Amino acid sequence: MKTFEGDFYKLIGLLKSREPFAFNRFSDGELFILQNKELILDAQQVKVGEKVTKGLYKQEDFKHFDPKAHSFHRDRLVDAFRFKAKNYFKGLSCRCCVGDESFRWQLEFHGGDDENFTWANLLVNGNYPRFIREMYPLFNNYKTVVVCNDKADLSMFPFLVKDFRVGYNAMVNDYGLIERMKQWIAGNRIEGHLFLFSASAFSKLAIHQLYEHCSRNTFIDIGTTLNPFMNMRLDRSYLKAFWLGTRNADIHKICIW
Amino acid sequence: MIKIVTSSSVPTGSTVALVNLCNRLNAGGYECKLFGPDHWHLDKCKSETLVEFRPEKGDVVVVHNIGLHSASDLQDVTATIERNRSNRWQDVLRRTVRGCFASAQKPDDFTLVLTCQGDGQSARQTNLSIFHKIHCLSDEQQIPHKAKLPVFVYPNLVDDLRKSGSKPAKVAGVVGTIKRENKLELSITQAFQDGMETVIIYGYLADPVYYFNDVKPVVEQHPGKVKFAGFVDDKQKLYDSASDVYCSASKPWSTVRLESALTGTRFHGPDSAGAEPMSNDRIVAAWVEALGLRKAGRP
Repeated sequence: MKTFEGDFYKLIGLLKSREPFAFNRFSDGELFILQNKELILDAQQVKVGEKVTKGLYKQEDFKHFDPKAHSFHRDRLVDAFRFKAKNYFKGLSCRCCVGDESFRWQLEFHGGDDENFTWANLLVNGNYPRFIREMYPLFNNYKTVVVCNDKADLSMFPFLVKDFRVGYNAMVNDYGLIERMKQWIAGNRIEGHLFLFSASAFSKLAIHQLYEHCSRNTFIDIGTTLNPFMNMRLDRSYLKAFWLGTRNADIHKICIW
Repeated sequence: MIKIVTSSSVPTGSTVALVNLCNRLNAGGYECKLFGPDHWHLDKCKSETLVEFRPEKGDVVVVHNIGLHSASDLQDVTATIERNRSNRWQDVLRRTVRGCFASAQKPDDFTLVLTCQGDGQSARQTNLSIFHKIHCLSDEQQIPHKAKLPVFVYPNLVDDLRKSGSKPAKVAGVVGTIKRENKLELSITQAFQDGMETVIIYGYLADPVYYFNDVKPVVEQHPGKVKFAGFVDDKQKLYDSASDVYCSASKPWSTVRLESALTGTRFHGPDSAGAEPMSNDRIVAAWVEALGLRKAGRP
């Protein structure tokens, strides 16, 4: 039976054995884009489709997906979501976090089940302490490339060999970086490297296309998990609970399938 | 069989020591398994999860950091550990009452041994009279009524390490579990005062709140110069990456000073003039003798 902890240790096992894989995450933001809903995240508002609430996001998290203007990029996200390959793991929004209806929508939109489905939250919530304590140290065994916001400070990472930066609304504005990364991988015969992505929806497109381009590297969408080491904000509840000791149930949450 | 059972098998110094002991005993022909609740130990030595642990007739059971009131507490060791960790008043009361009326009955059908790692704090929460033998790492560990107990004192085994081929210049490794007692913030400050250009933090992140509140502010005083590696399995790689190693907490039983000497890494810490090292063969021989062990397959 698929378990939140078991899937986490499956990735740990692959990292320890240096078997390449990709872990791509489709969280609620990507779910809305897949559903072709307009999405605006900024300081003033959060708009999902027609629903508007008060904004709470900071500049590096600003995002705007316009279904008309950005259909090309949405199609690439669909490609990433439907792509199937050995060791290409797709993290879905789980029913306990987005509800039954959205969970089922993802499966139907995907076109059936996939043995490589896992949790989008696999590295956070109740698995976050394991991620920091058990998975992060394994990155030391790799030549590691980090793809992240241009404001991030990467000097804490002893394993870093290269970084690529993105800015606002990277899925749209930095799409060309994927091609440049492919050229860098091919031109420098990059194999056996680890690529960590902390670049919002851009990560999903890049991980799919780069893994398809060269599956001899490992690609992980780390999201906001390493924010404390990158001098980025701890505005997620699981981060506050782990690093600041604030009371929050997320840090103990074991997501269900 | 020798069964080592511990309440924690995350990668801290004590778990590493128990893994080394398990491997050395097996290598010497003494069948041994390590049982722990976490995952880290499972691919490091002959091992199983804690739920698989059962003491059986003829076993030698080596216990680490599990508060036992009687040998029967080992029959469901997972429940015992959970009860010991609980702060519910009912569990605290039950522990207190059981502590007052604990018997001194040693088990008849297996040998029960306590190993006191770290500062020996866990020994103060257990009924010492039920153990056939008690292992200490150093005379400096604080064990109550030590003189009256069947104690044998031997340090932990040290990894097979060699002199580093080439060392970086002015790179300090701050080595040890990340928790308040280990005073990492002092080690980092001292390293930069000594002229180090880079500091790498090596250790299991036991207390992230301590790290965030006490270590991170010191890290931020040296922008771009401190790196965080976490716990690294490969000790040779760790020592090869550093010219100097810093520890601020006094732990005469720690193996870091010896490992530094083996790898040609300068050691800075309060225990820089520790006891003479002891060979691994001698340490294993001491365990064999103390526990009256017989090699697997021999009567």
